[in-house]
Amino acid sequence: MDNKESNQEIDRRDFFRKAAAMSVTAIAGTSLVSSNARADDPAIMHHVPWGQNWGDPVTKNRYGMPSKYEHNVLRRNTKLLASGNYRASIAVTPIQESMGIITPNGLFFSRSHGGVAHVDPAEYRLMIHGLVEKPIVLTLEQLKRYPSVTRTHFIECPANGGQEWRGPQFNSIQFAKGFMSSAEWTGVYLKTILEDLGLKPEAQWMLAEGSDNSEMGRTIPIDKVLDDAMIVWGQNGEALRPEQGYPVRILLPGWEGNLMVKWLKRLEFASEPWYCKEETSKYTALKPTGKAIQHFYANEVNSTVTSPSPEIDWKDLKDGDLVEIQGLAWSGMGTITGVDFSLDGGNNYVEARLKGLVLPKSWTRWSYMHTYKKGEKLLLTSRAMDDAGYIQPTIDQEVGVMGVESVYHRNAVETWEVTATGEVNHVQIRS
Amino acid sequence: MFKLDRKLIITASTAAALAVITAGCMGGGTTAGSTEVNGTPTVDGGMVYPVQDNKTGPYYVNTNTLKGGYTNGRVPNANELAAWDMDVMPDGTGLPEGSGSVEDGEELYEAQCVSCHGDFGSGGGGYPSLSKGNAVDMQKTLTNNRWKDPEADGPVRVFGSYWPQVSTLWWYIRDGMPHPKSKTLSDDEVYAITAYILNINEFEIDGEEVDDEYVLDREKFLKIKMPNVDGFEPNIDGPDALQRVRAYYANPTNFGALNLNKGAERCMTNCQKDTVKIRRIQNGGIKDFLPPMDSTRSLPKEEAALDVKSVYADNCAMCHGNGVGPGFGASAEWAAYSAKGMDKVYANGINGTDGGMPPKGGSTLSDADFKSVVDYLINGH
Repeated sequence: MDNKESNQEIDRRDFFRKAAAMSVTAIAGTSLVSSNARADDPAIMHHVPWGQNWGDPVTKNRYGMPSKYEHNVLRRNTKLLASGNYRASIAVTPIQESMGIITPNGLFFSRSHGGVAHVDPAEYRLMIHGLVEKPIVLTLEQLKRYPSVTRTHFIECPANGGQEWRGPQFNSIQFAKGFMSSAEWTGVYLKTILEDLGLKPEAQWMLAEGSDNSEMGRTIPIDKVLDDAMIVWGQNGEALRPEQGYPVRILLPGWEGNLMVKWLKRLEFASEPWYCKEETSKYTALKPTGKAIQHFYANEVNSTVTSPSPEIDWKDLKDGDLVEIQGLAWSGMGTITGVDFSLDGGNNYVEARLKGLVLPKSWTRWSYMHTYKKGEKLLLTSRAMDDAGYIQPTIDQEVGVMGVESVYHRNAVETWEVTATGEVNHVQIRS
Repeated sequence: MFKLDRKLIITASTAAALAVITAGCMGGGTTAGSTEVNGTPTVDGGMVYPVQDNKTGPYYVNTNTLKGGYTNGRVPNANELAAWDMDVMPDGTGLPEGSGSVEDGEELYEAQCVSCHGDFGSGGGGYPSLSKGNAVDMQKTLTNNRWKDPEADGPVRVFGSYWPQVSTLWWYIRDGMPHPKSKTLSDDEVYAITAYILNINEFEIDGEEVDDEYVLDREKFLKIKMPNVDGFEPNIDGPDALQRVRAYYANPTNFGALNLNKGAERCMTNCQKDTVKIRRIQNGGIKDFLPPMDSTRSLPKEEAALDVKSVYADNCAMCHGNGVGPGFGASAEWAAYSAKGMDKVYANGINGTDGGMPPKGGSTLSDADFKSVVDYLINGH
């Protein structure tokens, strides 16, 4: 494992030296050999239709769409998670195709408890009441007049990976890790609104309630409300998508997705919690003691290798190819401070490199350079850490405390097996 | 920051106070954060990044926006508050007077609930079971864990055995059920369906069995004791609730987490025992992905014609194929309906009926496509 060597810095002088060496090789050898060895590439030798004919006028597609060639990059669902004709269900994000730390709005995972509601913004009202000195009701326009903040945060369903406590089930990163997405959200801090409403001292809890068919509700502790909770209406520079609660949802950075109530209509403050349907019947983690964790808020530190993946494998790599292994790390409890990477399933680790922006409670990209040897067998495992001190456990460590019946909040390290032919399979390393 | 911030909001203090508080809160650089606020653990065990020096974490903040002074919106009137403040809490807050019998509940259940939740709450079609038998007995299965013996029985997590509060059931039936047309049941009907669900979970209320003759009302409802009321941690009831929650998440061993600041070790070499094995996906795993997994970049195929068979299977068969409503290809059963004209039959299908038919069977088809499905259902081909 020569991580240090493969990750060495390339300075400017090195670049020119290497480029010169490469060009000599190219002229003297590679290009001539290859052009003699096979037929000309028609993609180069012929005029392509889009190069000769007029393209679309700018008047077409007033709202732009992806290239039609990208039609397989989609949210997907499975009958295992198909409750209610896909109304109380989930469609998950193709993490294998994700780039950077933002999910395009059309691919953001979609979870609802009574279908995706289509709210008329003219009839939208947000009511804030209960243990406040002054209750208010706001129209959408009035809400959007508050000063805004914009923050990049992932939203993760706490059942991400939750089908695999007893063993791997999905040979797919989309289904093993795609119960999450990330966006740049725009809205107002809830504390900014509350400043003028006068919270009464006995207020401990806030009910957030949606206007959808299921009247989705959750109880949120006042600590989060007064820290970084936001009421958001913007997603990646445009209005929230209906699947994300258009026109307004609550955002609780880092916490379970189901707490971030969509199609938000009402916030009530009280001294006692509500026991909404989705906070005990579901979204509770049963331990071997028979007790279940309720009000399990933050998604713990986690990571995955996104490239390669079971969906996009290494069968096309040649011996000696230098390839970037990359992945995502995230924590709902803080900022990613580092990612350890292993080629042997977590027996030996080296430090991977973080790349791009490293933001609190946000997806963070990491990277490791690897020289591929044809036929080698690998077990790719990543392990992330955050600034609150948390580190991902092994599967044995996590199951040792939580058992295998808790469904939610599984954040043990995950492993892809690379076979001798370059296939990539989801496996688990455990005693 | 929590306590001070809260006081700030309650007393509507000034920007000067904010500056003092935030500066005194953490100190250090602009990206500093902490898992404690004024010596108190954070509520989720994670970090708080206070606003200081006009930044929170890496983000700049216009701290002038945080001082208040906004006059947006208006005060709701009493009728508006009453119309939306409909939640039902464990102590009975929000629970209206009313009553309903197990007998009426069973009738309502058979008409409006059984197609999804199955006979006697057995579940089906991906919808949750409402009962697996006697609630007190089933509560004892919650210590079952299939870690050591994968063939063992798992825990039973249904309403009777698992839910800590019965108020949740009443509230959710009233606001979220029946699933295709929620908020259509009267309070008495909600009491009746609740009574039936208590009946199939073999509940006793105040020493009395909830038998087929039982009539539930508000007073009796408030005496219901759930078998698993103490089955959850941390305890979130009472005036000290948040202190308990903060203490719970300050200890990573409570929730299966590892924290390097609290004694966990980070191993870099020879981390695994000799006994570790590679566990692979068994029997091919789950791969009924829709649409099927495919990473190729190509032109999409022409859109497929309407597949009435699969629409029927996904949206209609759960009732029409199970004796609820006229059956597939059952011309005699359909005659009574088609006698009133096919326009009426189509309209009922498209708009839904009070008898439990959801609009378009819950599909999102066009009217024309949906009519083709109706024809297929009636003709059986």
